[in-house]
Amino acid sequence: MSILSVEHVCKSFGSFEALKNVSLTVEKGEAVAIIGSSGSGKSTLLRCVNNLEKITSGAISIDGEYLVTTQNGRAVYQSEKQLRRICMKTGMVFQQFNLFPHMTAIENITVAPIRILGQNRADALANARRLLDVVGLADKADNYPAQLSGGQQQRIAIARALAIGPDIMLFDEPTSALDPELTAEVTNVIAKLAAEDITMMIVTHEMEFARRCADRVLFFDSGEVVAQGAAAEFFQNQENERVRRFLSSIEK
Amino acid sequence: MELAYIATILPSILRGLATTLQLFFMTLIFALPLGLVFTLGSISRFYPLKWVSKTYILVFRGTPLMLQLFFIYYGLPFLGVTLDKFPSAVLTFVLNYAAYFAEIYRAGIQSIDIGQHEAAKTLGFTPGQTMRLIIIPQAVSRIIPPVCNETITLVKDTALVTAIGVGEMLKAAKGAVNRDMNITAYIVVAIIYLLLTLVLTKVYEKLEVRYNRYQKKGV
Repeated sequence: MSILSVEHVCKSFGSFEALKNVSLTVEKGEAVAIIGSSGSGKSTLLRCVNNLEKITSGAISIDGEYLVTTQNGRAVYQSEKQLRRICMKTGMVFQQFNLFPHMTAIENITVAPIRILGQNRADALANARRLLDVVGLADKADNYPAQLSGGQQQRIAIARALAIGPDIMLFDEPTSALDPELTAEVTNVIAKLAAEDITMMIVTHEMEFARRCADRVLFFDSGEVVAQGAAAEFFQNQENERVRRFLSSIEK
Repeated sequence: MELAYIATILPSILRGLATTLQLFFMTLIFALPLGLVFTLGSISRFYPLKWVSKTYILVFRGTPLMLQLFFIYYGLPFLGVTLDKFPSAVLTFVLNYAAYFAEIYRAGIQSIDIGQHEAAKTLGFTPGQTMRLIIIPQAVSRIIPPVCNETITLVKDTALVTAIGVGEMLKAAKGAVNRDMNITAYIVVAIIYLLLTLVLTKVYEKLEVRYNRYQKKGV
């Protein structure tokens, strides 16, 4: 069974169709990269998967549980309570990090496990320290976000998302707000997670990163998946003219 | 303006000051939390609650405080509710200031980036938990300066209650001036109002530093 299943999803903002009949699946342990021009619907898809945006029609399920299905041509969502529960199977990492600035790094990581999952403090702290180790920031536990670089903030955000024990990690252009040097420290962490077979879907503009981390690459154009394939194959022997133009335009 | 004269008028002015401070603190104690109730009402998606809150804020910000004072002290008896002067003053000030605080809070809450709501949502927070644990704690540091401003206005607004005969500081001073044909008492109370404002400013500066700690760069 797929961890994530997106079936015939359409999403409109007014008269603008952001997603046009998109279907895809992500299997357990798989890392899927989504690439494509700005405005092609990549981020919108990610935001629909964890209920930050509502779809117009189609169906989305996470680990076999549907958060939305379509009846009589209209999207029907689960109750807010069910949606919260199902969406906690996803861990979201935002382009702008969105750490809670009034909490230290470790408080950012433990707040949801303690307050939402009801873990006891000691367990949550121990797990948070382990995650800080994973992202290489064990010495920054007590720093506030304002005291950290962009790359460090994003790594804390990754640890925060992992802390709720998601089945799939969603990365929404995780390095777009970072300079090249800081980008590397974040992509290295994500590559490490991918190597540990953590299921993930990554929206990115970094082709090298996609090539390195992803098992499979999907190319979005105007709200549709126009090409996909195994990562190595996708970048080396691309036959789709539109994709080749895109790839050569950004490689320069 | 000799010290001996000031010494004779000071006791009545200080008694007035006690009333002024009582009105000031009681207004703050009740209006600060009541304001949050109207804030949450005015940003609620439940329309009747939103409408009631917005209308309340419009009425109490949109009419003079003095007029509200007259309505409550002279007007309520017609509805069968008679309050003494001081309780009337407190009630009026609480209702009035809650409306101003509500709008200050709303501005603070709505200034917090949408990304904070989204991050909380993806971590499983309910809207209520998001407000309580994520949004309001961040809004506090932003609303301190405008709340300080409003509080300083409150210190001086307390003088208005002299209009319904509450024996606060300005009334005491006015009594002395009329009796002795000497404006010294006005100068004395002006200095006291200034001192109160100065103390408040310092208190809020301390609060501001405390609630902004997390925004400081460096360790």
